[in-house]
Amino acid sequence: MKLLVVEDEALLRHHLHTRLSETGHVVQAVGNGEEALYQAEEFAFDLAIIDLGLPGMSGLDLIRQLRSQGKSFPILILTARGNWQDKVEGLAAGADDYVVKPFQFEELEARLNALLRRSSGFTQSTIAAGPLVLDLNRKQASLSDQPLALTAYEYRILEYLMRHHQQVVAKDRLMEQLYPGDEERDPNVIEVLVGRLRRKLEGEHGFKPIDTVRGLGYLFTERCR
Amino acid sequence: MIRSLRVRLMLAAALLALLFMLALLPALQKAFSLALQESIEQRLASDATTLISAARIEQGRLQMPDQLPDERYNLPYTGLIGYIFDRDGKLVWRSRATADRDINYQPRYDGRGNEFARIRQDNGEEFFVYDVEVKLLGGKSAAYSIVALQPVREYQDTLEGLQEKLYLGFGAALLALLVLLWAGLTWGLRSLRRLSVELDQVESGARQGLSGEHPRELLRLTGSLNRLLHSEREQRQRYRDSLDDLAHSLKTPLAVLQGVGEGMGHGSGEREQARVLQSQIERMSQQIDYQLQRASLRKSGLVRDRVQLAPLLDSLCNTLAKVYRDKHVAITLVVPAQAEIPMEQGAALELLGNLLENAYRLCLGQVRVSLSETPDSLLLCIEDDGPGVPTDQRERILQRGERLDRQHPGQGIGLAVVKDIIDSYDAQLSLDDSPLGGAAFRIVFTRG
Repeated sequence: MKLLVVEDEALLRHHLHTRLSETGHVVQAVGNGEEALYQAEEFAFDLAIIDLGLPGMSGLDLIRQLRSQGKSFPILILTARGNWQDKVEGLAAGADDYVVKPFQFEELEARLNALLRRSSGFTQSTIAAGPLVLDLNRKQASLSDQPLALTAYEYRILEYLMRHHQQVVAKDRLMEQLYPGDEERDPNVIEVLVGRLRRKLEGEHGFKPIDTVRGLGYLFTERCR
Repeated sequence: MIRSLRVRLMLAAALLALLFMLALLPALQKAFSLALQESIEQRLASDATTLISAARIEQGRLQMPDQLPDERYNLPYTGLIGYIFDRDGKLVWRSRATADRDINYQPRYDGRGNEFARIRQDNGEEFFVYDVEVKLLGGKSAAYSIVALQPVREYQDTLEGLQEKLYLGFGAALLALLVLLWAGLTWGLRSLRRLSVELDQVESGARQGLSGEHPRELLRLTGSLNRLLHSEREQRQRYRDSLDDLAHSLKTPLAVLQGVGEGMGHGSGEREQARVLQSQIERMSQQIDYQLQRASLRKSGLVRDRVQLAPLLDSLCNTLAKVYRDKHVAITLVVPAQAEIPMEQGAALELLGNLLENAYRLCLGQVRVSLSETPDSLLLCIEDDGPGVPTDQRERILQRGERLDRQHPGQGIGLAVVKDIIDSYDAQLSLDDSPLGGAAFRIVFTRG
């Protein structure tokens, strides 16, 4: 998943960036509200983590602006004071959950995953499409109860396609899921990865859930639950 | 002890007026009686003159006409009393009205002329006497004492009548004075009443400070009060802002430390160190939270805050409904639309937020908040259908605000904060079983 982290304290930003990347997300970490607005305008994020105590534009203002610009991804707020005034204002401004500083990373991750599941309409920790089952917590795919050996990139593409099942997903969007920010990107990598993923899914049962929509991107055709 | 300023002023003024009138009364009576005596003297003098002018001396003897020119001398009973004595004190003439009286008066012919006196008879009757010594025909042989008398009783009757009228008049004046004084005081003290209304509004939060429209004598007081109010508000705001800054500047580094600690635990020795680090960081964080909340949620000394309960509960329930969206909690609010609780907004939010979050976290699917009012207290009740709190542990968690479950790290200070807020507002917190099946936290605010 592609996450936006807005935290002014450089060390904490770095820590969040590292830990979230390790758990398989693509993270864009910025230090202030203006930069966050720019990033949100340029890229499609699946979730934002926003510190309420930002310098300049406050976290609350940032959330209001994001929502007024029609950004509907879930927002998790980080609050230092942890008082209810902040929580109520944050959630009323458009955030979806809060974590009080300091936090254990596991707690943040659990909240984050719950929000991601909820936003894609899946409240369980697994997504199933026919014989294919994705365990979101363990980041493991299985086909007819047999574990599938997927690389981290392949898993990310599969999870993203399944979360956005029956929608056309552009190659650029998939690319953003794999690489953060402005790195040099080669669209061929996506084609190669999707090709490998298709072969693994097809296996011996001939399961072919991923279609190519020419000029637009890919489509996960199966209905996911 | 008389508490009302107006009643005190009224009593003082009434007493003063009464003393003044009591002092004035004898002086007035004295002056009037002197004036009355003077007028009696003049009248008697003119009566005597009438007699003198009517008198004729014929052959050395005094002759009085049968009919005197003043008709009143001719009346038998109620007429004027007059005597004429010769210089040896022998009675030579008496008016008709003296016929049935026996007035014992003996003039002393001593050549001193006129004399006005008050005489007393043996039977107690008193008379004013006007005694004129005249020499008719210029001769020594024709010298007479002409005496006119008037009973003192008439004078006393007039005096008593006057006294009665004076008492009545003074009484009426006192009454009128008091009524006017009451009206005047009401007018004069109206500004104090307006000040007290404004103070009520300040206390209830409907007004930020006192207006400048007060009498000059009160302006210094209202000015000082306004400065006090302003500085208290400023101080609270500054206090809160610094606490916010402090929270942010302490807890963000703690979050970094926590992150670093989590990154450490790879070797077996390091893992133990990381665990110690984590638990110490959590303790520090809880202490910071607890002390900061304690410091910022104290009750204000000057302003008696009130906050509407329903909007507060709505915003909290919206927040919690979002956080616990997957749980589908059914919340029941039994709160009158306009009901208020005697708390500052921030403190109320913290109190209810902590209790409601507890309820949302522990319930199976139902939470109920109810407010009931009696004439002298307010009962706020927060219930859930969760597992409840075992009887033997209730006392302990209420005493120290301790947490029973340790599954949600970083949120351990909730009940401690609740307990502190409730203590600072002199309210009571109790914990028992709810009809819903779980815990029921009851908060009682005593009015007054």
